[in-house]
Amino acid sequence: MSSQTIPSTAARAAPSTSLQHRATKRRALGSVLASAAAVLLGGCASLSPEQAIAPVQQQSQAWLSADLPLQQTDDQRAAARQRTEALLAQPLDAQAAVQLALLNHRGLQASLYGLGMAESERVQTLLWPNPVLSLGRLVRGDEREIERGLSVNLLALLGRPARQDASARTLAREQARVAQQLLDIAGQARRRWIDAVAAQAQQAHARTVLDSASAGAELTLRMRQAGNVSALRLARERAVLAEAQLAMEQAQLQAVREREALIRAIGLWGDDVARLSLPERLPDVPSTFRQADDLERTAVAQRLDIQAAKRQSEALAAQLGLTRQTGRLNALELGLQRNSSNQAPTQRGLDLSLEVPLFDWGQARIVGAQQAYLQSVEQTAQTAIDARSEVREASERAQAAWRIARRHHDELLPLARQVSDETLLRYNGMLIGVMDLLADARAQARAVSAALGAQRDFWLAEATLSQSLLGPVHDTASSASPNTSSTPGASTDASGAAH
Amino acid sequence: MISRRNLFAQMAAGAAVGVAGAVNAAAVSRVALAAIPDAMQRDTPDTAPPLSPPDGRPYQPVVTLNGWTLPWRLRDGVKEFHLVAEPVVRELAPGCTAHLWGYNGQSPGPTIEVVEGDRVRLYVTNRLPEHTSVHWHGQRLPNGMDGVSGLTQPAIRPGETFVYEFVARRPGTFMYHPHADEMTQMAMGMMGFWVTHPKAHHPAIATVQRDFCFLLSSYDIDPGSYTPRISTMTDFNLWTWNSRVFPGIDTLNVRQGDRVRIRVGNLTMTNHPIHLHGHEFQVTGTDGGPVPPAARWPEVTTDVAVGQMRQIEFVADEPGDWALHCHKSHHTMNAMGHAVDTLIGVDHRGLASRINKIIPDYMAMGERGMADMAEMEMPIPENTVPMMSGQGPHGSLEMGGMFSVVKVRADQKPGDYSDPGWYRAPAGSVARRVETPGEAPSSPMPTAHQHPPRPTAGASEAASTRPASEPLRVRKPDGHGHHGH
Ligand SMILES: [Cu+2]
Repeated sequence: MSSQTIPSTAARAAPSTSLQHRATKRRALGSVLASAAAVLLGGCASLSPEQAIAPVQQQSQAWLSADLPLQQTDDQRAAARQRTEALLAQPLDAQAAVQLALLNHRGLQASLYGLGMAESERVQTLLWPNPVLSLGRLVRGDEREIERGLSVNLLALLGRPARQDASARTLAREQARVAQQLLDIAGQARRRWIDAVAAQAQQAHARTVLDSASAGAELTLRMRQAGNVSALRLARERAVLAEAQLAMEQAQLQAVREREALIRAIGLWGDDVARLSLPERLPDVPSTFRQADDLERTAVAQRLDIQAAKRQSEALAAQLGLTRQTGRLNALELGLQRNSSNQAPTQRGLDLSLEVPLFDWGQARIVGAQQAYLQSVEQTAQTAIDARSEVREASERAQAAWRIARRHHDELLPLARQVSDETLLRYNGMLIGVMDLLADARAQARAVSAALGAQRDFWLAEATLSQSLLGPVHDTASSASPNTSSTPGASTDASGAAH
Repeated sequence: MISRRNLFAQMAAGAAVGVAGAVNAAAVSRVALAAIPDAMQRDTPDTAPPLSPPDGRPYQPVVTLNGWTLPWRLRDGVKEFHLVAEPVVRELAPGCTAHLWGYNGQSPGPTIEVVEGDRVRLYVTNRLPEHTSVHWHGQRLPNGMDGVSGLTQPAIRPGETFVYEFVARRPGTFMYHPHADEMTQMAMGMMGFWVTHPKAHHPAIATVQRDFCFLLSSYDIDPGSYTPRISTMTDFNLWTWNSRVFPGIDTLNVRQGDRVRIRVGNLTMTNHPIHLHGHEFQVTGTDGGPVPPAARWPEVTTDVAVGQMRQIEFVADEPGDWALHCHKSHHTMNAMGHAVDTLIGVDHRGLASRINKIIPDYMAMGERGMADMAEMEMPIPENTVPMMSGQGPHGSLEMGGMFSVVKVRADQKPGDYSDPGWYRAPAGSVARRVETPGEAPSSPMPTAHQHPPRPTAGASEAASTRPASEPLRVRKPDGHGHHGH
C-alpha cells in the first residue's frame, strides 16, 4: 500500500528513541500502564473475523436477499451442506441458484478468510506496543538499588493512529473487493440459471418440431408406399426431418452446455451435479416494467467502484495531511466538464453530485500532494461517468428487451395460436392437408421458441441492470445470440410444405 | 320480400346495403327523377312466387330460382323498369354470406319479364363506387342501347341514372350484365335474367306448366372471408346457381305430368354440363331463339358454354326427387383445397396419435375417401359452407355448389311451387341391402395393382421407399419401361 511509504504526520513528529523510565520509587507507573493495556486489550482489541465479514454479509442480505455464512468450523460446514441439499431437493429457482453459489463458491470462502486476515492485521494495530519491563538489582556496598524499568516503544505508540487508519482502510478495501466478488458470483449464478432454464425449455420446442417433422416424414412414407406421392415429395419431407433432427441435437448440446455453465457458477460437485433439477420455464415477463427515474443517482450513491474511488481520494487526502478543508468539490461536475465534448448536456443530472472535499492549497511544498489528490478526484469522476453510462445502457437494454419480450408474448404468440386455430379449421374443411397442419405446428413451435429467447434476453438484461446499480458487471459467458439454434431448416421446411 | 323504397330517402340517408355504395345522387335532377319508377328492392334470397302480369299483354310467368321478377310501371304503353346497381349482401347458403355487387338488393338482379313487341324503358341508377353499364345480352336493339361502355355509350358514372329504351323484338331467353369493367363486375355478381314471352302462339314455343330460370355464376371467396377475389381467372371455389350453392338452392317443385321448362344462362368462366335425372329433355331454345323442332334431339345432359343460354323442356312424368346438377363433379362441391394430399389407402395406424400429441384437435380424415368430411361436421372457417353436405331422407347427400332437385309429385297443385318434402318411394322400390354381403375392401387398400411412378435416376436409393408391392430390384433405365404413363 503506497500510502504507508509516506510518513504520517504523527510519525514525522516523533523522536525515534525509546524512553526508559527509571523508577526507583515510582512503582505505581508500571502497574497503571499494565492495567491500562489490559483494559485496552480486553475492551476493543478482541480478534474476531466475524466482525470483518459482517458488513459483506449484510450487503449480501440487502442486495441479494441471500446468506453468506462462514464455513470455517465443522458445524458451519455441516450447516452449509444441509442448506445445499435442501436447495437441491426441489427444482432450482434463480434465488436458490444465487444462494447455492454463495454457499459453494470456494473462491468466495477464500476471500472470507482473507477478510479475517485483514481484520487480524487491523486488530494488531489497535494493540499497545508491548512494554519492555526491565529489572535490575545493583549492589553497591550496602546500597541495593533495584531498578525496575518499563519501556514502551514510543515511536510505535506515536505511529499507532496512522497504522490503525491504514489497516482499517485495508480492511475496508478488502471488504469492498469481496462485496464486488459477491456481486459477480451472484450475478453469474443468476445469468447462468436463466440461460440453463431457457436452453432446457428450448429442447421442448425442438422436440415438437422434430415430432412434427417425424410424423410428416412417416406419413409421406406411407403415402409413398400406397402409391400416392412421388419420390420427390418423400425426399423433401425426409430433408425436413433431417433438419429437425439436427436442430434437436443442437438444442440438446446447448442445454448441456448451459447446464454445465450453471454448475460451475454455483459450484456443484460430485453427486450434487446429478441432483440439480431446473424448472420447466422461466418466470413470466412482467406486464409492466418501468424503472425509477433516479437510477443513475442510485448507482452513484451505492456502486462499489464509485465508493472505492471516493474512499481512495479521502484516504489520499488524509495521508497527505490535507486537513484544512475549505470547501467541497463535485467530482462528477468536474468530470462532466472534462468530458463535455462527448457528453450530451441533458445527461448532466441537476441533482446528481459526487462531492469530495476541496482543500486550501496554501503551501508550496504540497504541490505534489495537490497533484496526487486532484488526480484521484479525476479518477473518481471518470469512474462515475463510466458507471452512469453503464447504468443508462443497461436500463435501455432492459427496456428494449422487455418491449421485445412483451411483443412476443402479447402479439406474436397469440397470432401464432390464431394461425394454428384457423389452420386447423381449414384442415377440418379439407381446404388444406395434414402436411400443412404439421408444417404449421413446426412454425408455431418456432414462434414459441423465439418468444422464449426474448423472455430469456429480458431476464438477462434485467439481471445486468440490477447488478449495474451496485457495481460493474463482468459477464464471462457470452451466449448473447438469441434463437439462432431454433431456426435452422426453415428454408427446407418451407419447400417441404409447399406442394 | 319486395319493397318499394324511396330512392331519394335512401340516398340522403346513405343507407347503402354493403359498404361502398353510398354515392352522391345530386347529379340526377329531381325533375328527371320524378319521372322514374320506384326502385323495387328485395331483401331475401328465397324463391319469389311467379309474378302474374297485372297489366300489358298476358303471359305465363317464370319462376326465378332463389330470385324474383322486377315489377314494372306501365306508362303510356311503355313498360318501365328501374334497376339500381349497388353493393349487396347475398346469402349463398345458410351460414355463408357474400359481399357482392348486384341490382336492387340482390345478386343476381331481378328477372325482367316482357312480351314480344313490348316497348321497354329501363332506368339504371349506378350506386356502385365505379362506373358501369348494362348490356342486354342477345337482344335485337338499336346499337346505342347495347350497353357497351365506351363503344355504344358513355359509362354510367357513380350517382348517375341512365335510361335504355327499345322494343323487345323477339321472344326468348336472355340475360343482362355490365359491359364496363366487366370482369370485376361479373366476378362480383352483377347479372340478371331476361325472358321475352311470345305475344301469341309460336310454333316452336310450347306452352308449359312450369318455367324455371337461373344463371350460373362462380366466385372465389377465400374461406373465412366474404368478398370474392375478383382477379381470379379460373380457380373459382364456389359454383352457384343464381348466387346460391347447395344446400342453399331451392328445389324445383312440379306436378306430375307438367311440361317443365328450365332456362339456364352461363356467366361463369367455364362450361357446365347440366344434367337431369330420371327424364330425357330437349334443348328447345338458346339465347339465339327457339330451336326448330326438327333440329332437337333428346338428351339427359346439355352443356352450357360460357356466355350461352339453354332452355330445356321435358314432361315430368316420373314421380320422385330427381337430381338436377352440373356434371362436373367438383362443381357440386363447395370451397375445397385443391392441393390436399390423397390419403386413400394410407395406413394411419399409430400415426394419428403421434399427430394428436402435437395437434390435439387433429382428426384423421381421408384415409378411406373424403366422405368423412360430410360425416364429421367439425368446425370450419367462419362464413364457409362445408365442401360437401346436405341431409336427405337416407343420409348425407355429400354435395355442394350446382346441385338441386326436381321434385315431381302427383299431388302438387297447379301453381303451387312450395316444397312438398322428401319423396316417399313405394315400398319395395328403393335400393336396399341384401343379406349376402360382398367382400368389402380392407383398409388399407390392396396394392397389388398399383403402378407407382418409377424414378429414372437414383433408383437404388429410392427403392426402399417404393410401394410395398414392388419387388425390390435394380433396373437399368432402358427406355422401354412405362415411364410417363
Ligand atoms: Cu359446372
